[in-house]
Amino acid sequence: MPAFQITVNGRRRSVDVDADTPLLWVLRDTLGLTGTKFGCGQGICGSCTVHQDGKAVRSCQVPVKEATGASIVTIEGLSKDGSHPVQRAWIEEDVAQCGYCQPGMLMSASALLAAHPHPTDGQIDDVIGDHICRCGSYPRIRKAIHRAAKGGAE
Amino acid sequence: MTSRRDFIKVTGAAGAGLVLGLHLEAKPRPGEAAARTFRPNAYLAIRPDGRAVLTVPKSEMGQGVRTSLPLVIAEELDLDWSRVELVQAMPGPDFRHLGTGGSTSVSTTWTTLRTAGAAAREMLVAAAAQRWGVPSGQCRTEKGFVLGPGGKKAGYGELAEAAAKLPVPKAPKLKTPAEFRLLGHPTRRVDGPKIVVGRALFGLDTRRPGQRFAAVLRCPVVGGTPKAWDASKALAVRGVKAVVPVPTGLAVVADGTWAAFKGRDALASSISWNEGPNGDFNSKDLETRMRAALDGPADAARSTGAVVPALAAAARVIEAEYAFPFQAHTTMEPMNATALVRPDGAELWVGTQSPNTAQERAAAAVGLKPDQVKLNVALLGGGFGRRSGTDFSTEAAQVAKAAGGGPVQVVWDRTDDIRHDQFHPATLHRLKAGLDGRGGLGAWSHRIAGGAVLRSWLEGKKAPGQAETEANGAWDLPYDIPALDISFAEVEVPVPLGWWRAIEIVPNVFARECFLDEVAHATGKDPLAFRLDLLGKRGQVKLGEEELDLARLRKVLELAAEKAGWGRTLPKGHGLGLACHAYDRRTYIAAVAEISVEKGGLRVHRVVAAVDCGIILNPDGLAGQVEGGVAWAVSALSSQITFEKGRAVQENFDTFPVLRLPEMPQVEVHTIASTEAPSGMGEPPVPVTIPAILNAVFAATGKRLRRLPIAPADLA
Repeated sequence: MPAFQITVNGRRRSVDVDADTPLLWVLRDTLGLTGTKFGCGQGICGSCTVHQDGKAVRSCQVPVKEATGASIVTIEGLSKDGSHPVQRAWIEEDVAQCGYCQPGMLMSASALLAAHPHPTDGQIDDVIGDHICRCGSYPRIRKAIHRAAKGGAE
Repeated sequence: MTSRRDFIKVTGAAGAGLVLGLHLEAKPRPGEAAARTFRPNAYLAIRPDGRAVLTVPKSEMGQGVRTSLPLVIAEELDLDWSRVELVQAMPGPDFRHLGTGGSTSVSTTWTTLRTAGAAAREMLVAAAAQRWGVPSGQCRTEKGFVLGPGGKKAGYGELAEAAAKLPVPKAPKLKTPAEFRLLGHPTRRVDGPKIVVGRALFGLDTRRPGQRFAAVLRCPVVGGTPKAWDASKALAVRGVKAVVPVPTGLAVVADGTWAAFKGRDALASSISWNEGPNGDFNSKDLETRMRAALDGPADAARSTGAVVPALAAAARVIEAEYAFPFQAHTTMEPMNATALVRPDGAELWVGTQSPNTAQERAAAAVGLKPDQVKLNVALLGGGFGRRSGTDFSTEAAQVAKAAGGGPVQVVWDRTDDIRHDQFHPATLHRLKAGLDGRGGLGAWSHRIAGGAVLRSWLEGKKAPGQAETEANGAWDLPYDIPALDISFAEVEVPVPLGWWRAIEIVPNVFARECFLDEVAHATGKDPLAFRLDLLGKRGQVKLGEEELDLARLRKVLELAAEKAGWGRTLPKGHGLGLACHAYDRRTYIAAVAEISVEKGGLRVHRVVAAVDCGIILNPDGLAGQVEGGVAWAVSALSSQITFEKGRAVQENFDTFPVLRLPEMPQVEVHTIASTEAPSGMGEPPVPVTIPAILNAVFAATGKRLRRLPIAPADLA
């Protein structure tokens, strides 16, 4: 069985797994990148969101063979030092409670901002509405996205 | 242990039995600079470099204990908050009763942590005073330094060795709230920076050398066991190493999670089950049994006056039945635990709310003594009571033992997590109110029928305090009613039950506060005025063993009403509703909800909460808990677990909906300044928000919703 070549956070990786293995488990179990979270396994909750060629995707729904050749960015690679505007805004607004869903939220929020630097509440609803936070950090997520859009100002 | 209150007393007092000074020897821990580290008690150490290492005796599940509790020590010890490191308490000689739940983390540790910090501070001051030859009274402390007369200054680190040799004061002087410099100000969550870069480690992120992964194929019917299976298909899956029977089913052990899941699914296609006695269990029949139980014998939780004659003599009796469904917890991190089991000892890595109980039960399950099991408490990707359970940690130990060799991480997928939850039980409520000729409420009866969570926690035993526990929120209603009868009629349910965010108080206060709203409307009174009348002019009242301050409850009720604009004219289709409660007789909370019903759809626009939880440690954390509690409550309007043929019908978030961002109401939090001892805020917003919303629905539509979840037809 051939190994799959994927690029994760700028590094080319060769992973020897079954072709149907979801990217989620390649990241978590094969590559040890546990920042990407397992929540529902069906693409419903958004906890496993990563960037595939800049787009937010549910890594539990992407078989590794479909990620071959793509550039994957995980929460560990969103910035070198936690300085991405969404990461800074998340701290400023003290968004997280348990924190488990937040890597997925951050990946979707950063993809949203890349596409729409000044998203409306409706655009935030559309994108973050596909995620679940059981702790109820939603009001702060909305505020943090707006803050990040304004370059960190409130 | 006879009631949940005892459970909290025992587990809540994490280390309360630990007398300061027990560790006068300041035993060094591995890697510490031996005797030069100052460790006056189990909660703190100061290293020679001045860094303070604080022990967190509660499990972090989003409620903020890793921020608020160390902050209490740092306050009394006058630490530099930016130079604090944390370690998580582990079950062992220092901590025999670790447990997190019941919104008690602050209230049960408050005095212990303050005393721990203050004692250390006095010792550091004494050490500095000795060094300088000045009286202690001429020294003060600030951000990790002792300051003396004439500009003298010494860091805690340089004083650590000398301080460690001094006696530990038994009753150190504590600060007054006016002296607080850290408490009461917004403090950001300490784990935030790690969370946003994906480096906060939850139980599922445990990675040990040689670790394998396992999924367990469990009978979908509780109590069922495997009858026949063919492991060959599972073993043919690449990466699958073994299929081993365990008490909960068959474990598929593999070199990765995906292989374990695939192997488990392959095994499922070949298996047949002995479903056991519960294969016919279903929600419909249970409801019939619960309704019958409303007419049968019940255990009294509180009985004052003579309700039966009072109701018989009443000019008017109002009666209603309320229903609350089974609920799942659905923490975002599904259940999991990692275990390494050897003949002479074991180690677990698990996000748990019950570290010591998890340790004890896992030890018993694999034939070890508790002290032979090292249990590491990871961050919890949500708890909400689910992780008070020990089923998943015990199972992981059993799988690791059966599999042999190195550590095994048992991963539950979402279906496992929902279907094999320890469910919040369904309950039926029958309420009766007796009104006199002038509309005065003279008699109140609230009977609850359903499964008993406490019995499930006690592994099948009925405790004397069972009725009080299951009727919490119902028996401690704060209203002045001459004749009261609050009782619990237990109905046997075969599925495991567990505490949910705000426990039995959710359904009980839902029924109580909605029914009270019915009674208010029936007498033609405003629901706010009706409640204020029933609270009366009283202050302290005794309920059971506890005191309740009704003045504090009145104040939050009035504040919430004022801030929400109670009584104002609303747009068509909008309504305001309110509810209040003194949560566990400690946290006073009222909520006013503004909703609209349009085209048969409910929209919760705004929830205004007023709270009095005593001294506020971290206002930002408190607001987050109220926001989260409101989100939890709104979710509860739509979600339920039902059973058919012994199986939970719902399996994932498509059929067990959880509130999402677009439906999140605006939440406003108003607090009462207080110098009373602090209580908790993780749970209290939930039970008042649900009835506030449903009472608002009545105000808007005249429709009285007595049954959750809300069905589309209810609002059509």
